[in-house]
Amino acid sequence: MRKYFTDQLIPTVYALMALAFLYTPIIVLMVMGFNESRYNTLPFSFSLEWYSALAKNEVLINAAINSFVLALITALICVVLATMFVLGMKTLSRSMEGLFRSLIMMPMSIPWLILALSMLLFIRFLDLDKNMFFVVAGHVVISLPYAMLSLQARIQALDPALEEMSASLGASALSTFRRITVPALAPAIVAGGFLAFMISFDNFAISYFLIPAGTSTLPIEIQSSIKFGFTPEINAISTVIIGVSLLCLAIVGLIMGSSIENMIGGKKK
Amino acid sequence: MKIKTLLSLFLVVILVFALAACGGQTAEEEGTDEPATLTVVNWKDYGSDNADFVAAFEAENNCKIVHVYMSSEEELLTKLKTAKDGDIDVCLPNCTILPSAINDGLLLELDTTKLTNFDSLYDRFKVQEESFKDGKMYSVPWVWGSTAIAYNTDEIAAPPSSVSILFDPEYAGKIAIRDDFNDAVMLAAIVLGQDPNNPSDLDAIKAKLIEQKPLNKTYWKTGDEFSKLFAGNQVAVGLMWSGQAAFMKQDGQPIGFVVPEDGAIGWVDTWGIAKGSQNPDLAYKFIDAVISEEFQYDWASTGGPAPVNKDAGEQIDPVYAASCGMDEESLNRLYFMQYRTDDVKKAWNELWTEVKAN
Amino acid sequence: MKKKKKLLTFPSIIVLTVFAILPLIIMLVYSFQSDSGSSGVTLENYTNFFLKSVYLKLTYRTIINSLAVTIISLIISYPLAYFMAKKFKGLKNIVMILILIPFFTNQLVRVYSWLIFLQDGGVLNSFLQSVGLIEGSLGILFTQGAVVIGLVHAFFPYMVITIYLALERVDNSLLEASSSLGASKVRTFFQVVLPLSMPGVVTGIMIVFVPCLGTFVEPRILGGVNGTVIGTVIEDQFFEIYGWNFGAAIAFVLFAMVIISMTGLSRIGRRYDNE
Repeated sequence: MRKYFTDQLIPTVYALMALAFLYTPIIVLMVMGFNESRYNTLPFSFSLEWYSALAKNEVLINAAINSFVLALITALICVVLATMFVLGMKTLSRSMEGLFRSLIMMPMSIPWLILALSMLLFIRFLDLDKNMFFVVAGHVVISLPYAMLSLQARIQALDPALEEMSASLGASALSTFRRITVPALAPAIVAGGFLAFMISFDNFAISYFLIPAGTSTLPIEIQSSIKFGFTPEINAISTVIIGVSLLCLAIVGLIMGSSIENMIGGKKK
Repeated sequence: MKIKTLLSLFLVVILVFALAACGGQTAEEEGTDEPATLTVVNWKDYGSDNADFVAAFEAENNCKIVHVYMSSEEELLTKLKTAKDGDIDVCLPNCTILPSAINDGLLLELDTTKLTNFDSLYDRFKVQEESFKDGKMYSVPWVWGSTAIAYNTDEIAAPPSSVSILFDPEYAGKIAIRDDFNDAVMLAAIVLGQDPNNPSDLDAIKAKLIEQKPLNKTYWKTGDEFSKLFAGNQVAVGLMWSGQAAFMKQDGQPIGFVVPEDGAIGWVDTWGIAKGSQNPDLAYKFIDAVISEEFQYDWASTGGPAPVNKDAGEQIDPVYAASCGMDEESLNRLYFMQYRTDDVKKAWNELWTEVKAN
Repeated sequence: MKKKKKLLTFPSIIVLTVFAILPLIIMLVYSFQSDSGSSGVTLENYTNFFLKSVYLKLTYRTIINSLAVTIISLIISYPLAYFMAKKFKGLKNIVMILILIPFFTNQLVRVYSWLIFLQDGGVLNSFLQSVGLIEGSLGILFTQGAVVIGLVHAFFPYMVITIYLALERVDNSLLEASSSLGASKVRTFFQVVLPLSMPGVVTGIMIVFVPCLGTFVEPRILGGVNGTVIGTVIEDQFFEIYGWNFGAAIAFVLFAMVIISMTGLSRIGRRYDNE
């Protein structure tokens, strides 16, 4: 009985409370997408007008697609860079490690607005045009720290003895990497990729200053709308995005079955 | 080893930039056959990005309009300063940055004879000091409006006669003035009887604003914020732009708008052509189209700011005009914002920061 | 072998150097120039920051807010991460995904939703009134409390993830060994689990505290008349006046503060590492 209490009930209740807090604004947001009022006022009256407006709003839909592609590219690059970095970092001396740590923290602690503006000035200094290459580069710079930190949290808990053992047993470096290091890091790689995706997907400042004229992202559209007010079409598209991503994850989960579970959950040796 | 590493690093960097540069060039080459592109910098949802207007203009002139959105006047200045030739064709500065932009050579001198509708504009807006340098004109007025009192007609029956309502403890907790140093300082100056464009006693203004601070529900920053707070009954009276108040009224909100007897803040948005524009002729056509009688009337009568085109202005229903501060009487009460030097802006901004931190 | 591994860090270093450090050097130069136009090196932006009480006051307010956010996030995150790693078997992946999904929405929209939820006469207010917990209005919106709620909401999931990733590595057999040796559950937790999860806690603190210092959206919208923080001051220097020099100077002061506090933090982390 007591075991049920500590192992099942308390954790479940706790997790539900935390999720309730996390989802409070999300539910409000979704509900307001179905509310007739342009200004999100109560009382609630059901309407699909914002969804039908959204369906016709090509600008917004294209912006959302751009954001998605941009975030996906950014996340992939970040995951590769961060994994390599974290693996190499263990071999550095203490002082070098400290220096590199500060380097990583830089894009996190300098407001992105300033980072974005300085990148723009830098591009102009080199007399180059704004283009998507720099947008991706900027997104990678700000998302990379998040991917790195989640990998760092993992790798510091990783037992170096394991790798040494594997090497001493005659396994090649590559096979040690593939069989020991990657599975141990997999959950952090997936989580880091997600974080990088989220940071990039929701970034305004970098895209705003660096993107070439004529291309837009969802955050740019939303931020530019607040001067006079955005409509619940934004709530509608947010709801659609959440729905689509849940659906995608469910499909991936179904197809890959337990292998994805092992990947996210981390395979136990 | 070290030198080799450095060298290879260096090579990688060069390669990366070479690639980036190539990417840019190929994009340009591809674009030669397409119709000309006109890049317009404006606020989002502010008239010129109206889908019908854009489609009609594009069809008529065989071109493509691309809108780039600005987030503040100073940020527009940043955009102009960091733009390469051809990045921006037309932009919408107001008096707060116009002299800076003109002095830095960021705008082209305008030839108003190329604008067929220029003669129809009200004379008073044609002569705005900030649009000129050495007698040459650099920007064309587009719309004007006021930052004055918006109030909930369910809670406040009669239109307030003075901006001092925003300093009235009777409405404590229902007031929202704007988080903007210029509006705040000018507002306090009006109440204190100082010249809003040249206040004599900044300490008194600061004290007045600190006194007013606890009466606010919040300071609003964006039109979005104000409209949601107003509609959600959080705010009953506040400073607001005439155009947005008119729009909210048309949308069914119980909102009244008045330029009170002791005055309020006035502003004019103007179009300029950026230096380096590759399509100046198209830019003139664009400006001509948005100052036309048709465009100006359509927008002003559907919740936009007030027109500068005389023919458009005369067509607007006088009752509607009075209800959103577009009438002659309101106009004469306004203190139109003037250009301020960087030092004055800095001092006012610091004053406002101190009020907010108090 | 070791040398080769070192090479793995290079791509990241190059990317960060070229696209962050080099551009920021331009800003650093700005921060040492006077914005009254005269060229030459000056410290006036930095002295202006340290000599005017208003900026120190706002910095203090920002740090207190960020600390509150970090501590509350830690209190929420650690148990959740612990339960995910040690108690939920198949469920943990689902919980993890559920934690990440809300971040596919836009920050501004989320903040506005908080505004609607917390406002007087809003959802929470009506609910609390109907169950009889409060009478009248709630009055929580437009206070520092609302800012902290908004920021905790924005940042605690990052912390859950870093702590979870560290905890999940703690081998269950270690715990079993500890308890079979007669250690109580509480003792096992404090002597085995907590130290082993410290790297996750330390990175979690960084990933919340550091970005918190520079935020301006939540304070400005949820904080009301007292929503001004150092992040909003920096934003104003770029958007309201042409004050890049001063804005950049404040940002670099913040960065210096971050590096100093992070060095301290990673010392703590390392002490646990060595044990």
